[in-house]
Amino acid sequence: MAEKIKILYLDDEMDNLTGFKATLRLDYQVFTAVNIPGAMEHLEKHPDIRVIFCDQRMPVKTGVEFFEGIRSTHPLPMRILITAYTDIEAVIDSINRGNIFRFVKKPWAEAELISAIEEANKFYQANSMLAIKNEELQKAYSELDKFAYSVSHDIRGPLSGILGAINVAREMYDIAEMKEMLFLMEKSLKKLDTYILSMHDYYSLQRGELQICEIDFKKMTDEFRDIYKVFSNSADITFKVNINQREPFRSDTVPLKLILNNLLSNAFKYQNKNNDAKLVELNIEVNKGVATIVVSDTGIGILGNHLGEIFNLFYRASSQESGSGFGLYNVKSALLKLNGQIEVNSVLNKGTTFKVTVPTK
Amino acid sequence: MKDLSFIIIDDTELDHFIARKVITNANKNFNVKSFLNPYQALEHIAHPDYDEGIKIILVFLDIYMPLMNGFEFVEQFEKLDPKIQEKYYIVALTSSVEVSDINLIRSYKSFKARVTKPVTATGLNTLLTKVGKEYNLETGV
Repeated sequence: MAEKIKILYLDDEMDNLTGFKATLRLDYQVFTAVNIPGAMEHLEKHPDIRVIFCDQRMPVKTGVEFFEGIRSTHPLPMRILITAYTDIEAVIDSINRGNIFRFVKKPWAEAELISAIEEANKFYQANSMLAIKNEELQKAYSELDKFAYSVSHDIRGPLSGILGAINVAREMYDIAEMKEMLFLMEKSLKKLDTYILSMHDYYSLQRGELQICEIDFKKMTDEFRDIYKVFSNSADITFKVNINQREPFRSDTVPLKLILNNLLSNAFKYQNKNNDAKLVELNIEVNKGVATIVVSDTGIGILGNHLGEIFNLFYRASSQESGSGFGLYNVKSALLKLNGQIEVNSVLNKGTTFKVTVPTK
Repeated sequence: MKDLSFIIIDDTELDHFIARKVITNANKNFNVKSFLNPYQALEHIAHPDYDEGIKIILVFLDIYMPLMNGFEFVEQFEKLDPKIQEKYYIVALTSSVEVSDINLIRSYKSFKARVTKPVTATGLNTLLTKVGKEYNLETGV
């Protein structure tokens, strides 16, 4: 069952508070206060109080004044004024100054209270939803901005390079030089291709639904072993894989592969060129419903002050090799979908270790 | 061709190749230094060891680089000894048409010019004529 809605009632008459609590405590979590400091204490302790009832006639401050006072500090809870008599002046005041959602007349009827709470709760939920959606929208906008900037550089960059090369080629007669340039052109095009593929990953991670199935890590990593064999042979990097899976594991293959692929390709890419014993290690252990994936390398490492930013979209912590700035951001998005966690440890010029934990579904 | 020399700072090898080619096509005696890493370039500039005869060194600086972008580079450059600074003529290289970038480039006093990538013979010529006039140089093109 969902948690009970929290409501607060402020009234200087103890009898009213007792009666109120007795009526509603089965269906709601009721907090009561006999004065304003008491009410504030509840509000501080329980920021998720959704509805506040307050008596209008109190010593020190009126109900409207109390609501007015907390308007900026506690804007979220819905406010309901309880009053024995009303003149139009008080009504106008309470709406304009106190931002009141409803009035309840004293003495109250139980049904009236409940309907007021339920209505207020609907408003509260709609408002909270709006705030969440708004935040999501802000995030989407800011990513869109970054996207537009990155697209104009990361896509236009290689293209303008290729165009420049074609221009230069018109006055080039040396075949060796031409071949050197073709090699560099190919490199630029591959970088562009990687960028576009990662952009697709980005999109499918943001919008796609999960498809859960049985995961056999042994089988999955065999694929990677084949892919990276080429890498490890040509660059003389030892690739060690160690899988320890004795229980079934359920998850989505696509984001899992994406995580592994990104971490492994980084581990192979950012190797220390002067190191004689280059190593990439992949350890996967499945235990008590949690898969722990550790990818470590003997690479160039990441400077401490860049570590906090490597999971940001389009952030690149190295000028070595062709990063797109998508990789680790996509890893993070994939882990968000799988309820997973990632940790990173890195020592400059020694190597980097990523540790990923993913629970089974 | 002792008046001018060149430094290219860019994270893309192909762009180095092209800029170098365009520059040496204009005059094969031009001296061109390449840096893929802006930190190394800054280090090089901070400890000058150029030929006494060189009057001005044109720096082709890519704006969009990881680790240290062109703007961050210029901010570091502006902390150097003014005597060193006045020897260099920084040209912003951009592949983008972002208005925000162009405005930002204008706001730095050290960016003396802006060239859109890819560097072409015509673009270089225009630039060299401008530099030649400003410093009263024999640019040889």
